[in-house]
Amino acid sequence: MALNIGADDLVENPTPRVPVALCLDTSGSMMGDKICELVKGVNLFYDAIDEDDDAHDAAEVSIVEFNSAVSLIQDFASIERLNRIDAIDATGGTALGEGVNLALDTLEKRKSTYSNAGVLYYQPWLVLMTDGKPNGRPDELERAVHRVTELVAQKKLTVFPIGIGADVDMNVLARFSPNRPPLRLQGLSFREFFEWLSKSVSRVSRSTPGDTVKLDLEGLAGWAEL
Amino acid sequence: MFNEFHHQVRGRGHELDGTRGQDRTQYLSRGGVQAICLADGAGSASHSEFGAQAVADEGCAALVEQFEQLVASVDGGQIKIELLERLLTKVNMLAERHGRDVHDFASTFLGVAVSGDKFLGAHVGDGVIGYLKDGDMRVISAPDNSEFANQTTFVTSHGAAGSMRLFRGSLQGVTGFILMSDGAGDSLFNARTRQLAAACEKLIVAVGAAPARLSQNSKHKKQWRKFIDVRVRNATKDDCSIGVFGRSVAS
Repeated sequence: MALNIGADDLVENPTPRVPVALCLDTSGSMMGDKICELVKGVNLFYDAIDEDDDAHDAAEVSIVEFNSAVSLIQDFASIERLNRIDAIDATGGTALGEGVNLALDTLEKRKSTYSNAGVLYYQPWLVLMTDGKPNGRPDELERAVHRVTELVAQKKLTVFPIGIGADVDMNVLARFSPNRPPLRLQGLSFREFFEWLSKSVSRVSRSTPGDTVKLDLEGLAGWAEL
Repeated sequence: MFNEFHHQVRGRGHELDGTRGQDRTQYLSRGGVQAICLADGAGSASHSEFGAQAVADEGCAALVEQFEQLVASVDGGQIKIELLERLLTKVNMLAERHGRDVHDFASTFLGVAVSGDKFLGAHVGDGVIGYLKDGDMRVISAPDNSEFANQTTFVTSHGAAGSMRLFRGSLQGVTGFILMSDGAGDSLFNARTRQLAAACEKLIVAVGAAPARLSQNSKHKKQWRKFIDVRVRNATKDDCSIGVFGRSVAS
């Protein structure tokens, strides 16, 4: 008996997603070269994902900005739906806790969407970048630290706290990363960081059950100090 | 009696990496009991292909030798513990021989055995087991993926016995079974609807309709292998393995 199996007899499952939440400081102190380099870095991140066969179908990126207020400037979307950023205004204070909480809320919603649609996903990533000291509501900061550390402890989130410049409060960033010290960007090496990030996303998107995706710590050289 | 077909193929991802495939399948028929098993070695476990082979081999032996006892037992919890202990003993021996940690041999396990008018099976981890009953293709055991796509339970995992799915039943109206690793599931199992692809039924029917004694290189087996090697393999980067029991409706 001939085996007559057509395309309709097979299913096409969606690619498992790697959600990456970028939580970016856009306070007044970021004005000038820092914000320009950050925007270039994010766009380069998009380009690198676009060019990578594995990451292209898997990565979904969101962007939350925080200054005196917080806003979701890019909800989770695949690379085909992400618009390149022209510019971001840097102004006001550093409501870091509020920003992280919005990023986590957005992430939770996205995970629900995946689950309801039967889309598998990998452990989400939160990239937190700041150049200063939080001056938003203290209770929001504590809530954000608690939420992140709980998720990290449960192995439900990978967090990358990144300090920019000399004035960043690394002690606060360290509170978000119980397992690994926060990284301080060397100069304005946003480009190198986002290149590293896109490669790391690609490695995760290629992983299969049982794979332990180790961070490419050697790849940190040139853009970060531990 | 059921006809059987089992096959594994190295995924495109492993081919690109230059690493070995980690899926393994096995079939055993003895004393009127037939068993078919497959195991998918863990990606990060250095010797998982050896672990997968050991688990598939020992799973078949256990299901065949203990079929009557397993089918008659009323204590499902105890069966899970005993079956897992047997698999783990085998993997532990292998680990000792290689001088490595048992977790280096981690794999999933899927197995089905049939005899007389009864069947039974067990499943640890991801992959899918389904059967064709009264003309309907149904899922018996769905993937256990935890929350994330690259996480599942392995035979060597803490709590594997608790997550093992055990099933048994009557063969009345059953035309066949299909077992698949997660790689094969990418094109043969709809993760959204939790239903098996129509190709599964066609494969079971084809295996069931083939002559009872087929050589490894019969045109039938070549055709089935080609389906896995090309169509199923090209739909994923992961290794693909499949096990099929099929019998004609008249039997």
